[in-house]
Amino acid sequence: MKKPIELTVNDELMQVEVEPQTTLLELIRDGLHLTGTKEGCGMGDCGTCIVLVDGKPVNSCLMLAADARGRSVTTIEGLAKGAELHPLQQSFIDQGAVQCGFCSPAMILSAKALLDEDPHPTEETIKRALSGVLCRCGSYKKIIAAVQAASPKES
Amino acid sequence: MKRLKPFAYREPKTLREAIRILVGEGPRAATLAGGTDLLVRMKQGVVTPSLLVNLKRIKGLDRIQRPKAGGLSIGTLSTIAALERSALVAKRYPVLAQAAGFLGSPSIRQLATLGGNVGRSSPAADMVPSLVVLKASVIAEGASGKREIPLDTFFKGPGQNALAPAEIITAIVVPDAAPSSGAAYVRLGRREGMDCALVGVAASLTLDGAGSVAEARLAMASCGPVPLRARGAEAFLSGGGLAEERLREAARLAAGETSPISDMRACADYRREMVEVLAYRALAAAVQTDRKAR
Ligand SMILES: Cc1cc2nc3c(=O)[nH]c(=O)nc-3n(C[C@H](O)[C@H](O)[C@H](O)COP(=O)(O)OP(=O)(O)OC[C@H]3O[C@@H](n4cnc5c(N)ncnc54)[C@H](O)[C@@H]3O)c2cc1C
Ligand code: FES
Ligand code: FES
Repeated sequence: MKKPIELTVNDELMQVEVEPQTTLLELIRDGLHLTGTKEGCGMGDCGTCIVLVDGKPVNSCLMLAADARGRSVTTIEGLAKGAELHPLQQSFIDQGAVQCGFCSPAMILSAKALLDEDPHPTEETIKRALSGVLCRCGSYKKIIAAVQAASPKES
Repeated sequence: MKRLKPFAYREPKTLREAIRILVGEGPRAATLAGGTDLLVRMKQGVVTPSLLVNLKRIKGLDRIQRPKAGGLSIGTLSTIAALERSALVAKRYPVLAQAAGFLGSPSIRQLATLGGNVGRSSPAADMVPSLVVLKASVIAEGASGKREIPLDTFFKGPGQNALAPAEIITAIVVPDAAPSSGAAYVRLGRREGMDCALVGVAASLTLDGAGSVAEARLAMASCGPVPLRARGAEAFLSGGGLAEERLREAARLAAGETSPISDMRACADYRREMVEVLAYRALAAAVQTDRKAR
């Protein structure tokens, strides 16, 4: 049976109807048509479904949409400000970190959560923060370089 | 898309209500915490609960606090990420923060709860060996009231535990560690992130005034049908010193006390050999954390 829930998606407060078995991933892709969030495995292993909930990365394939009630969800579509890309998005382009792009939304969102907390992470810290996302193109080196390049410069 | 089959669903606001719903539905109801285990098994079709009772709208179950009587009480819904960063945990039981850092990936740790790790009762559960060496207990509540179950007697087989039907874990409690003691968890996966433990060993050592071992505890993940204690190795260590040969001999004994399985991740012989390596490392690391603490 469908039930209404209220949640914030990319800074917009909205009411949606969800079934108990609807995952947050299904709500985002099928319900809201925000298809930047991907499904790889559907089982928590690949990380391509990662979105931020209250600023923290979670696997949206393993979270019920009902559990997003009252919370704030950020998907890759929520990062750019108008025509201006988020510094991480720009950096991924500049560094050639996007190959097929399937993992990029999850990589960028995981990196955002990291940089919001630790603006100058070590390479080890970056690797740990991204360890839950698989890049089937093997673009890891450039992804790490892109995160490093997007880290705000010390003034 | 991998979808979940429909199920009835409740979000009780109190523990009492949750228990009442579980009792009413019977054995096909399941408790939902973080969902990182249950939802995966539902998608695989391994389990088909008729009703999910989501605990996450019950207030206060995610608290990590120090009770007046001492020790630490970790609410069942505390996430693995919360344990990894809790200042209280880092100060009193660093081994738990260390073990938390091994579980899954950062995004899995945001969802996964401690109660779910214990409640699933997998022999591979990464939080359990450290909890066992710290002498933790499960606080459970059901229709007939509240009880405390020592973790040592909680696990009954792969996926099986001492919980009665409709009983809910509310917290995991850990007593204060002895003054001169240290603990460490070491684990081996096929890769560093995102794989369940091929073998995991937690060790704790408590010293007496003369510097000999007053008490040793060794607990192992993925080494048998339940998380195992290496009681022979523990007995061997107690009363003696911390010389390297003694730790190595204890590790050899611990490996002999395991009954691992062969599966796609590793064969039993390899696991047993790795127990010896990891048990030594865990003991050596426990000695180090003790020295640091003093
Ligand atoms: C990609 C991936 C990687 C993983 N890696 C690891 C790993 O490295 N190490 C590891 O140990 N685990 C790992 N896991 C398994 C899982 O994430 C953990 O066991 C986690 O702690 C489970 O907690 P949860 O809150 O998600 O449990 P849930 O899935 O919500 O529940 C698990 C089980 O416990 C029961 N349960 C939950 N809460 C209670 C309660 N309060 N009272 C009674 N019963 C309860 C449920 O009914 C269910 O049977 C991994 C999972 C995935 C998907
Ligand atoms: S789709 Fe969620 S982790 Fe793979
Ligand atoms: S760029 Fe193709 S999966 Fe990472």
